[in-house]
Formats: sequence, structure tokens, C-alpha cells
Amino acid sequence: MDLSQYLEIFIDETKEHLQTLNDQVLILEAEPENIDTVNEIFRAAHSLKGMAGTMGFKRMQRLTHDMENVFSEIRNGKMSVTPDLVDVVFKCLDAIEEYLGCIVETSDEGENDNEDIINTLNACLEAGGQATAPAKEKSAAKEEKAEAETSTDDDKRKFLHISIADFEKNAITEAKSQNKNVFGATVYIDENCILKAARAFLVFKGVEAVGEIIKSVPGVQDIEDEKFEFDFSMLIITDKSLEEVQKIIANVSEIKEVVIEDYEIPGDVEVVSSVQNKEEDKPVKKEEGKKKAAPAKTNSKPVANRSVRVDIDKLDVLMNLVSELIIAKNGLVSVSNQEGNNTSMQSFNEQIEYLERITTNLHESVMKVRMVPIESVVNRFPRMIRDLSKKLGKEMELIMTGEDTELDRTVIDEIGDPLMHMLRNSADHGLESTIDRLKLGKPQCGTIQLNAYQDGNNVTIEVIDDGAGIDVEKVKASAVKKGHITQEQADMMSEKEAIDLLFRPAFSTAEKISDVSGRGVGLDVVKNKIEGLGGDVEVSTKLGEGTKFTIRLPLTLAIIQALMVEVRDEKYAIPLNSIVTIEDVMVSDIKYVQQKEVINLRGTVIPLVRLDQMLDCPEREEEPENLIVVIVKKGDRQTGLVIDNLLGQQEIVIKPLGKYINIHRMISGATILGDGEVALIIDSNSLV
Amino acid sequence: MDENAVINETKQYIVVKLDGEQYGIDITFIDNIVRMQQITRVPKAQSFFAGVINLRGEIIPVMNLRLRFGLSEKENTNATRIIIVKPENNAKIGILVDEVREVVSLEEEDVEKADYDEQGINLQGVGKYKDTLISLLNIQSIIADLDNA
Repeated sequence: MDLSQYLEIFIDETKEHLQTLNDQVLILEAEPENIDTVNEIFRAAHSLKGMAGTMGFKRMQRLTHDMENVFSEIRNGKMSVTPDLVDVVFKCLDAIEEYLGCIVETSDEGENDNEDIINTLNACLEAGGQATAPAKEKSAAKEEKAEAETSTDDDKRKFLHISIADFEKNAITEAKSQNKNVFGATVYIDENCILKAARAFLVFKGVEAVGEIIKSVPGVQDIEDEKFEFDFSMLIITDKSLEEVQKIIANVSEIKEVVIEDYEIPGDVEVVSSVQNKEEDKPVKKEEGKKKAAPAKTNSKPVANRSVRVDIDKLDVLMNLVSELIIAKNGLVSVSNQEGNNTSMQSFNEQIEYLERITTNLHESVMKVRMVPIESVVNRFPRMIRDLSKKLGKEMELIMTGEDTELDRTVIDEIGDPLMHMLRNSADHGLESTIDRLKLGKPQCGTIQLNAYQDGNNVTIEVIDDGAGIDVEKVKASAVKKGHITQEQADMMSEKEAIDLLFRPAFSTAEKISDVSGRGVGLDVVKNKIEGLGGDVEVSTKLGEGTKFTIRLPLTLAIIQALMVEVRDEKYAIPLNSIVTIEDVMVSDIKYVQQKEVINLRGTVIPLVRLDQMLDCPEREEEPENLIVVIVKKGDRQTGLVIDNLLGQQEIVIKPLGKYINIHRMISGATILGDGEVALIIDSNSLV
Repeated sequence: MDENAVINETKQYIVVKLDGEQYGIDITFIDNIVRMQQITRVPKAQSFFAGVINLRGEIIPVMNLRLRFGLSEKENTNATRIIIVKPENNAKIGILVDEVREVVSLEEEDVEKADYDEQGINLQGVGKYKDTLISLLNIQSIIADLDNA
């Protein structure tokens, strides 16, 4: 049967398990005695193995199997966790990730056997503990078995209640006469499982590979339609032994329990003594035994389980529908403006208000579906910092806050690489070497902070390190040496301008190129990417104390509130979230600083930008006495945009301008107004 | 038979007029032809772009073919049309022309292959139709190198 439809589930779940493994192994490295962590790792490794096996990825299965063995030993107290072991395990995880990468691209795991890793793992295993192993294992298994048995009462054997028709009875009798085994099984699926039907399907598929399912309750169709609770029962005819069948079923992940026994036609004989759960050394049962014993321990699992995976294409269709709806609403608004003084006017307006309420709600709920916690991006960073720490020989730790801050899916997908760049930067350039830190009297271990929080309609992400800070003079000198600027320019530069040099393409201050960073392809890429997402980056630094990168990103990209303005006879939209106030300014109040127009607004000096000049509009015949100025902000800087006319606030749908036309960076897109006219959206960030 | 098929391969072209000269656009690239409508100017775009229009909720840039060919600008008339061309999947561009004449079928033998430039625009060739000549536009070259134009 075709497994490709489950490939996606497999990929997603493997990623999740890998993440869990990475997280937990990191914890284990810090606290080698933590038995909860070992259990968690073991569970994840085991699920991985089962999944890989079901999907037919033999190499991956073998690797995870050996990894599982190692943790089994650790769990039984026969091995201890050493730094060497942790390194091997990390290598192992990388190899699995490699397999996964291959699978994502080609649906095949590739050819790499990773023999060396497997050998190292086995070497660890042998070095760990031998001699006493077998005996202990047995006894442990026995205990588990006993435990499992007592906890399984008659209620669990639901298959006993399967009513069978005559022809099924015949089939069973016939099978028995041919010396085949007939088993009844009831499979319990984990209550947290999202895709029960898929799990059930995998069970069916596995069993059908070795035998025949003559009856299932509920029926196959109902199971496919997910019309069942968390268990289903079936009757199996097979040549294989009870243990083999049970193993096959239990290997499907998210299966909580399998109750399987020899099956006798009811009314014939008493049920044969229960041989269930005789799983020998196989850890499945043990795992369950542990789970039952300590259900409270599972609360360390990530809440990611509650999320629903939705195809992004479907969401985009939904988004488009919503945008159409808003356009339709805007159409109504413009009609109402034209008609005027009618008796039906009031109800018409009510209609509009109603429509407006719907669209707003729809917008919000759709947006919520698109929102993803930033956790899914940042959770791979602790591991990265650990590896960097080893590689660079610097002691450092990563402190993360606000991982649950939510961002639009499209932003989340893009933000990972820039953030990684910045963290690498901080680790390599930012933090001093351990020796230097000690000399400077700083704590030996460097700290990198990654903070995320929501700030109005933006999400702010900060990357802070307590390292050396940026040496502005060094940056200038390097820029002069590389010919980016002249010496005179360098002398004139303010600190802020000099720091902006770091964002120029191919700029690096590192004297030597390491494989971590220093090739100078970092920060300009970061900046481009973030500006492409409608956000911006700021740097503040204090020499000797550290550097802080602040990334500001919009919460959503598709629909925004905007102020509609007129410049000459053209309409433009200015995003509302960047507007501070709207001021009426007398022309006589305009002052000049360095030949640039500024106004003094309640004690703040704000530069003016004439939008008509920026937008190449025709000259006005005579200058009016009063100017309408929209004050916009970017970070803590403000600028006044001079416009001709205010039209009002409107919800607009952002649309791209098409492929072939060159767009100046002050225009971030376009929108369609109620009357079908196109208005351009001003990106005020580029004008501040 | 095979030989005949090659020789007799016909292609359809839409004939447009610019200042009395006739140009043909391969019909397979054409998505739509719309009447003149309000065009929103886009500041700082390439000079031969008239702006953008709203085509049923989609925003499409419109190029003024006269300006692209280095001709002078001309008042829009009742005959002015915007031809929506789809050179690639998921990308459309409007081409502003003075007038759309007709659809003609040209056989391979009626087309004289010629790769010559006219104001940097690569023509595919020149087609003979009745007793007129039609310059066949190479759409790809019109949209190529827009960054440098």
C-alpha cells in the first residue's frame, strides 16, 4: 500500500521528536542524573525507531535502535552519562536530521549508513556495562510484565464482545485447522493523538503484512472516517506468533496499549489463559508501566500537540476570500457616500456596520489560525549555542524569554535564518574569549539573551550579548581600509551611521574568517530579509558592555488599518500603526536646520518630508498657509510627512504590484479602494 | 506529410497599431484585452511604465509601448487598449497600445526571420500579410532587462 500520504505526518512528527531529543539531551548534559530526562529521551527515540520502521526507512531505524539501546542501559542504571556519550548522541541526532532532510527532498532516506556513529554507539554500550546486564534485564522485564498484567482487566479486552457471523466463524475454524493462529486484539490509541485514523491505518497495514484481518469493530470505513473513540478491536488470522503481531502493532507510535490474545469462538471454550503483554525485553511495555506509575511526569511535554496542522495553501485561499469580502464592503461604503439623504439610508448604514463587524471578526479569526508561536523557530537555538560554545572554546549560555510570542506563519518561516545569523554573530564577534573575559573581570560565562515580546501591532525580538560591544573606530577603520568610505567620510560619521556600516554588503570586522562567521555575508542579508518582511533592525552598543540588536516585525502582513491621504489628486495609504499624530502646521513655523525643513512640535524637533516632492507630483501653484503634516515614527525617531488632504481611516488589503515594475522602497504595495481605484501604500519606515 | 506540417505551421497574432506601424503579438501569450481604464501612477518606476491597474482584484503593471519604443506620448483615445500579456505563469503585465486591429494567422513561410533591434526591442521577425508588413514582437525581450532599461 502507498505510504506517501503518511509521509508528511512522519516528517512533522520526526521533527517534533528530534526537537524533544535535542532539548532533553541538552538538559541531560547539564544534569546527567536526571532520570525523567532519560525516560523522555528513551520514549522519543523509541517512537522515532517505530515510525522509521513503519515507513520502511531501514537505516534510520537501525541508528535510532542503537541509540535507544544506549538509553535503555542508562535507564537501567548500567551506564552513566559522560560528555563523550552526549557528543555521540548529538552526532546521532544530526545524522537522523540528515536522513530526514533526504526524506523531505526525495522521499528516500539516502545511502549514508553512518556506520561510524553506530560503531561508536555500540562501543559506548560495551564499555558501559556488560556482565550483570542479562540477569537484571530479565527480572526487570518480569516485574513490568506482572505490573502490566494486573493493571489490565477484562474491560480492556473489548474484542471478546465482537459478534461474529457464521462465515467468519467458518473462517476461524478453517484457519485453526490449518494450524494458523487466530488472535483477538484491542488497540488503545493515545488520547493526545491527532490523527487517529492514520494510526489505525498504520496498525492495519502492519498487521495485514503478516496476516489477515477478518473483522474489525468499528468497521474499516468508520475507522477511516475517524468514527471511533480511542480504541478499536479486530480479529486476526496469521502464521506469526502472538509476540510478533503485538510488536508490529506496538511499533506504531502513539499507540497507548495493545491487548492481544488467542481468540476462541465465544461459547466454544473458555478463553485461553492470558498470555498478553509477554513482551520479553522489548521496552514498549516498560514504558507504559512507567507512564502509568507516574502520569504527572508527562506534563513536561510541549503543548505543540494542541496545534492543528493546516495546509498553508488552504489558509491563503481563505485569506483571499476575506480580502474579497473587505473589498466588497469598501464598495458598499463608497456607494453610500454617493447616494446621500435617502430614507433607506439608515438601514443601509446598519448593513454596512454589520458587514464591517463580520469582516473584522473573520479577519481576526483567520489571523489567529495563521499565528504560530515563535518557539517553533527558536527552540533549535540552545543546541546551536552549545555546539558553538564547544567549537569556539568560549563559555556561553543562551537565555530565552517570550518563546510563546506569536507571529504570522509567513514571518515565522522567514525569521529563522536571520535570527540564527545574529546569534552566531553574537557568539563569535560579540562575546570575548573566556580568558579575555576573566582579565576584564566579567563573569567567565558569556550570556546571550533572546527576548521576544509583543509591542502594539509589532513583535520585537532582541538579541543581546554582554560581550565587547562594537568598536566604532574599528568599524570605521575597517570600512576605510576596504574602500567602502573615505577617511573624510569616516571622520564626519556619527556613531549611529558608523554602526549602519555593519549592514553594508560584504562588510566584516573580524580579522580572520572562521567557519562560524566573518565572511561578511551576515548582517546585510539579515537586514534585507527583515525589511522584506516589513520590519526593521536597530543596533545599540556600549563598548566593553555588550551589543543589543532589536528586530521589529509587523504582526501580520496581509490586512492593515491605514490612513488614506491625498497628495495632489492621487490617493495614498499610510499604515496607521506608524502614525503618531496629525498636525496642522503654519508655513511660517517651519525652521531650517542644515537646509532641511524641520518643525518644533511641543519641544521635539521633527524633520519634514514633502511627500509631493518625494512622489514626483506636479508643483503646486501657490503654497497654502497651513500644511497638513502626518507625524510618523520608527523606533524613537519621528518624521512629519506633508500631505494635501486627509480622507480618513480605512481597512486595506495589501496587494503586490506585479513582477515587472520597479518599485521604490518608499512604496510597500498597493490596495484596491471601494471604487476599484488602485492606491499605493507608503512605507513610512523608509522615510523616517 | 511531416514536412508539410512543419512548413504549414501557422501562428496567430494580434495586430496592434502604434503611430501607423503594425506590430504583431503572439496570441498564446495574451490573457485578455481591456479598454482603457484608470491607471494609477507609480512614482520612481521605470519611465515607460504608465502605472498599475486593477484587473478584477489583481494589480497589474501597465507598460506604455510607445514610451518603451522611444516614441512620444499620445493622448488616449477611444481606441486605446490595454493588452494583458502573461509571459510567465503567475505574472502578468499590461501593454498600452494605440489601437488593436485584428487577429491574423501567419504561416511559417510568410514570416521572415530577423533578429534585429529597434530601440533595444528584439523583434521575432517580420510577417507578410496581404500587402502589409507586421513586425512581430518578441514578448520575452520586451520584459527582459527591465531593471536596466
